[in-house]
Amino acid sequence: MSVLRFEGVWKAYPDWSRPPRTLRGIVTGRVPVLAGRRRAKRWALRDVTLDLAPGGSLGLIGHNGAGKSTFLRLAAGLSRPTRGGLAVHSDTAAVLSLGSSFDMQLKGRENALTAALVAGMTRREALARLPEMLDFAELGDFVDSPVRTYSEGMKLRLAFGVIAALEPRLLILDEVLAVGDLAFRQKCHERIAELRDGGTSLVLASHSLDEVRTTCDQVAWLHHGGVHALGDVETVIEEYERASIERTYERTPVGSSRADDEGLRLRENRFGSQEMTIESVEVRGATPAAALRTGDPLHVHATVRARDAPVRDPIVVVSLRRAGDQAVVFDLSTRADGFTLGAEVASADVTLSIQRLDLPAGDYALDVGVFEAAWEHAYDYHWQTYPLRVEGPAGASGILVPEHRWSIAD
Amino acid sequence: MLTTPPPFAAASPRGYAYAPVSATSDIERATGVAVVAPERSRRHLADLVLHLVRRELASAHRNTLLGWTWPLVRQLAQLAVLVFLFSKVLDLKIPDYPTFVFTGLIAWTWFATALTAAAYSVVSNAHFVTNPRFPTITLPFVAVAVPCFDVLMAMPVLLVLLGFEGRLGDTALLLPLLLVAQFAFTAGVALIVSALNVYLRDVQNVVGVLLLLLFYLTPVFYGLKNVPPQFHWLLRANPLTAFVNADRAALFDGRLPALVDVAIASGSTIAALGIGLALFRRLQPGFVDEL
Repeated sequence: MSVLRFEGVWKAYPDWSRPPRTLRGIVTGRVPVLAGRRRAKRWALRDVTLDLAPGGSLGLIGHNGAGKSTFLRLAAGLSRPTRGGLAVHSDTAAVLSLGSSFDMQLKGRENALTAALVAGMTRREALARLPEMLDFAELGDFVDSPVRTYSEGMKLRLAFGVIAALEPRLLILDEVLAVGDLAFRQKCHERIAELRDGGTSLVLASHSLDEVRTTCDQVAWLHHGGVHALGDVETVIEEYERASIERTYERTPVGSSRADDEGLRLRENRFGSQEMTIESVEVRGATPAAALRTGDPLHVHATVRARDAPVRDPIVVVSLRRAGDQAVVFDLSTRADGFTLGAEVASADVTLSIQRLDLPAGDYALDVGVFEAAWEHAYDYHWQTYPLRVEGPAGASGILVPEHRWSIAD
Repeated sequence: MLTTPPPFAAASPRGYAYAPVSATSDIERATGVAVVAPERSRRHLADLVLHLVRRELASAHRNTLLGWTWPLVRQLAQLAVLVFLFSKVLDLKIPDYPTFVFTGLIAWTWFATALTAAAYSVVSNAHFVTNPRFPTITLPFVAVAVPCFDVLMAMPVLLVLLGFEGRLGDTALLLPLLLVAQFAFTAGVALIVSALNVYLRDVQNVVGVLLLLLFYLTPVFYGLKNVPPQFHWLLRANPLTAFVNADRAALFDGRLPALVDVAIASGSTIAALGIGLALFRRLQPGFVDEL
């Protein structure tokens, strides 16, 4: 028994850059329709074999173009393999492009009904589940307003609410939870957990390793269309992260041994391909050298700039380590928080604001990095470059000094 | 660099002869059409078509003052021009010319509107097609069913006019049958153009051009009698001629449709539906890769 089975699946797409075939193309021979099998092919999936047991959840990771979307299309039964065997469960629901199936002129209620019918419910079922879907979306008074008046978040909630109400045996999600605010994502994850308790299997493609870690038991790491690694979530993600570090090191250009003004030396405390660089980092609440007091706020302001072409959806990371034992105090990324710098980024000023930093007195150092959209490698990573001295009451040890007081019963 | 991790679950070794699973378990080979329980699926299909038709109608006439009467207004405007041209400018000497034209015009408008919409139906609803359980084949049927509503708006007007002229006879009872026949024929052609247009986007333009020509090569604003016999083959080559002739016989002339028209209409309906269904089913598995 399984809900999804790939047996040596290969998938090719015809290799031409202009997908819509036109009569002119055929006449002028640029589109060899009759050449059929002989035309050039681009292999999007190569010999993929895996089997998903009922109740299992599979995360797909890999950089863009690794074959994740093709895998999902096949898993949803929407497309046929060029070679190999494929078995999909008939009760499969997929969200491959969230929100796009809405008619902007029609009301949220009408759109939800359409989406439910399109996804496979009968009218009676759809009407019965409609309140639940609208409830999930938290639309309030907007239920009877045209969808064009909705925020992106509302559209997302509505679309996900419909799919969740389907309670399919296999749910396929493509990167859909990356958008939307934290509360929404939390709600979606709760719903996914409920569905999984009810026996729904899950295939999730994500660029967020944290999301995959918390949602999936198994991970397939796709690379150039093939399964590079397949197995238990911790093992594969660890490998992926290790490979990312290795790739970053390989791609780091060999620079001059002389440190620049910031004290940065390539391959010593600065790593990354340098396709996008961190131009400046400012630690506010204190000047980089000056001390911060326990409980003070902290603002880290970084300016990133692409070297040549704009960079697609980069991830900014800020982490803090304790001097001495190098214990990680925090490790924050824009990706984990569902925050995006933009689809194409030439340059950006990013600020991380922390309300209170309740750290014991001592010496710390900040890492600031900017990564490729799928954590493929770092563009630029400043390692232990920004020292931070925290002053506070003496005698506090441990990793945290929470705001506190003592009292005694009378 | 990396060690191969143990495969999870029971991933079979490569080269393992893969037995067809559809017969033994509840998973099936991907066909592009997921099969749910048949009786549920039939119910779903009917619900879905009705819902999509209703949605199209609601969407098309939203924020307009005249709403659903717009298609009727459009047909009456076209009717007025044709009547002026061919009874005042060039007199074709056809008695009760307005109702004569209207009978043909209703059938023609349905066919033309349906095919224009059908050509785009799959391409412009890509977001539905990428839903695992969406039966894509419903889309061309929806495209034909939506303008059917315009026919149902215009038909009472025509019937009242024919009644005033005393032309309405028993043969008008054939109307439902005529509509069903035309629906089936149009749906067959719609299946063909909607599927082809996914692979070759020129089809939508070809349909536009052909409809432009066909309007003049279909006896809408003239009768077959007005055409010199040596050109009858040209009009006969167009199956729509048979449908218009049959409509006109039953409604306007109050007699049974000629055998030749009935034969051509039913023959072309069977052919169009057969070719359409076969072609659509054959091309459908590749749709998602092309959209």
